[in-house]
Amino acid sequence: MSKINKLMLTGVTSMALIFAGCASSSQPAQTPSEGGSSSAASEPVTIDWWGWAPGYKEAAEAFNSSHDNIKLNFEQITSGSQGGYDKMMTAVDAGNAPCLGQVGSETFVNFLAQGKLEPITQYVKDDVKSQFPDAAWKTVSLNNEIYGIPVDSGTMGLFYRADLLKKYNIDVPTTWEEFKAAGEKLHKADPKKYLVNLPTDAYNYSGYAWQAGASWFSTEGDTWVVSMADDANKKVADYWQGLVDAGIASTFPSWDAALNSAWADGTVLTEVGAVWTAGILESEAKDSSGKWAVAPMPTWEGSDAVGNVGGSPNAVLKGCKNPEQAVEAAAWLSTNEAGLTPMIKEGALYPASTTGQELSIMKEGREFFGGQKIYEVFSAESAKVNPNWQWGPLMTTTSAALGDGLGKVSTKEGTVYDALKSAQEATIKEMNTQGYSVK
Amino acid sequence: MSSTTAPKRKRAGYMERQALTRAIPFMIPFALLYLFIYLIPLCYALYKSMYTVGRSGLGISAPEPKFTGFSNYINVLTDPVFMSSMGRVLLIGLIQVPVMLILALVLALWIDMRTTVGKRFFRILYFLPYALPGVIAGLMWSFLYAPSLSPIVKAAEAIGIHLDFTSGNVLPFSIMNIMTWAWTGYNMIIIYSSLQSIPSEIMEAAAIDGLTGWKASWKIKVPMVRPAIILTAVFSIIGTAQLYNEPVVLKGVAPNLSSQYTPIMSALSTLTSNYNTSAAKSVILAIFIGACSAVFFAVTREKEPTK
Repeated sequence: MSKINKLMLTGVTSMALIFAGCASSSQPAQTPSEGGSSSAASEPVTIDWWGWAPGYKEAAEAFNSSHDNIKLNFEQITSGSQGGYDKMMTAVDAGNAPCLGQVGSETFVNFLAQGKLEPITQYVKDDVKSQFPDAAWKTVSLNNEIYGIPVDSGTMGLFYRADLLKKYNIDVPTTWEEFKAAGEKLHKADPKKYLVNLPTDAYNYSGYAWQAGASWFSTEGDTWVVSMADDANKKVADYWQGLVDAGIASTFPSWDAALNSAWADGTVLTEVGAVWTAGILESEAKDSSGKWAVAPMPTWEGSDAVGNVGGSPNAVLKGCKNPEQAVEAAAWLSTNEAGLTPMIKEGALYPASTTGQELSIMKEGREFFGGQKIYEVFSAESAKVNPNWQWGPLMTTTSAALGDGLGKVSTKEGTVYDALKSAQEATIKEMNTQGYSVK
Repeated sequence: MSSTTAPKRKRAGYMERQALTRAIPFMIPFALLYLFIYLIPLCYALYKSMYTVGRSGLGISAPEPKFTGFSNYINVLTDPVFMSSMGRVLLIGLIQVPVMLILALVLALWIDMRTTVGKRFFRILYFLPYALPGVIAGLMWSFLYAPSLSPIVKAAEAIGIHLDFTSGNVLPFSIMNIMTWAWTGYNMIIIYSSLQSIPSEIMEAAAIDGLTGWKASWKIKVPMVRPAIILTAVFSIIGTAQLYNEPVVLKGVAPNLSSQYTPIMSALSTLTSNYNTSAAKSVILAIFIGACSAVFFAVTREKEPTK
């Protein structure tokens, strides 16, 4: 045992030496904010950071080359819903979690409910606070306590094959009604083409409910209200079921290679998704580069509201020994040009901070979209995102059940509305088991 | 009487004790591993399964665990989703294990025959799928099953046949096919190595008595390799009950496959939000596997005297 300790000790000291070496060789850039300047000159504090979004690794490198006092140690993990969140939560229990973790805003309440996050309000300085809109802070706060630093938001839009819509003489739809009519026209012209794909991923679907104001969760006093199967949700579900039944929407599994190739070869002509969908299209449907364009999300009659999917704050995980430095690093990543640029370039993230939104790269055209300045669209749209959306405390259960149900639409074993009903049932059942007050 | 046996017993006891003290150092590595990766986690799961996530109201803070005895077990045993996952592996096991073992036995007997040519080639050929990691095998079969990618589906469509490997009713059989493909060779090798130990004089004697070919294999070889067959059967029962890799990989192309398709998938699905339920599910699965194996052993042992 003592041998192992000794080994680990030498390992740690040699690592510290390596870090010290790195620090001394890098040019001493501006030391950000005042903060814990006591250790700035001596040994750097190492902050571990787990995430999966494209561009994070490069952002961490950019951070390290401009900081002597903090060393950001990024580790790429599998995406949250694919097991990354399990890994983080287990690590918190085991006491070896990183200080910073990418926790999607949809799972934030879930992490809070498990007691896996560290309150950091006291470390968030006013000059950091003022760089984000209030809505962004809302996604990482509970009862006036802040638990993370926002990185991006997931305003939705319509991604479409400009060349093919033109070929079939279809105007870019601006409402869901027009969208359906466009689909009918396409189906008539070529029944083997689809206008859009029904997602099997619960969160991708949630954006459609979000836009329509069809809330899933709300609170009444001390009680949770689950309303995934209410009338507003039925309306959205029936709309999508109608698209599938009419042969307008395909039913490829979300994230599957089949969907990627359907985008690339023009089998599926549009995708209604969050801004970061641009990054996915760019990497997974490379062959169709230059043929895509972006328009605002189709709207429901009488409302110009837009949906949102995702946005991943960097949460400070429970047990973090250097929360102050973790906040400093996270704030830098979300507001500094050198940190944000790779995230925007690689992952098409839309920065949550106003400073980020004003960067020059946000005004550049993207090659994949024929040089279109897509962020101009999203910047205008982000103001219309429906602000009243609440996530539930057991999203892992909810999303798994909804995903299972949505997966049954393709084989006609169930409808979209059935999926919502069974997800509501599973959620309420598990909430009751755990003792939540719910109705 | 007693005066003569007592010292003997004493000596025997002493010898035993000495053997034991000598054996202990050799047992320590195993004992430690057994303790740390088997017994302690098992006890921890048992302990956790007796507690419930204690929440109230909105529950937006770390829960306080409450001791509730067997309430998790009652919840799990009355949960239709979990119970149908148990039923599913039972169904898969009842069909797939016999089919696979019969196949493995026939292949082993065939390769063991004196008249068979290319023994070594076929032995490796059948064993090859086992060398592939389960996840890779799953990915490969996913590709062959995927409705929009599969060359098999496309070829069948070209001649007017509609094939669907991923619809709800067909999925168990698609999974059985992957399992059979992956594990038949492995079981064949175990049975085959047992066949190799049958002395050639026995088969020669049988041949002199006029018993040759498949008949000789069935009447003499099969009874002699019965322990190996029972061993492969128990391994297969355990493996099927713990089914995980194949369905998880298949879910990528078959989103209608439930995220709680098998008991292990079900236990994992509640791991982070409700560890206690997951623990109870794991314990129930362990008991189920233990019971299945015990029943199987009992059934196969009974027959022995009648031989």
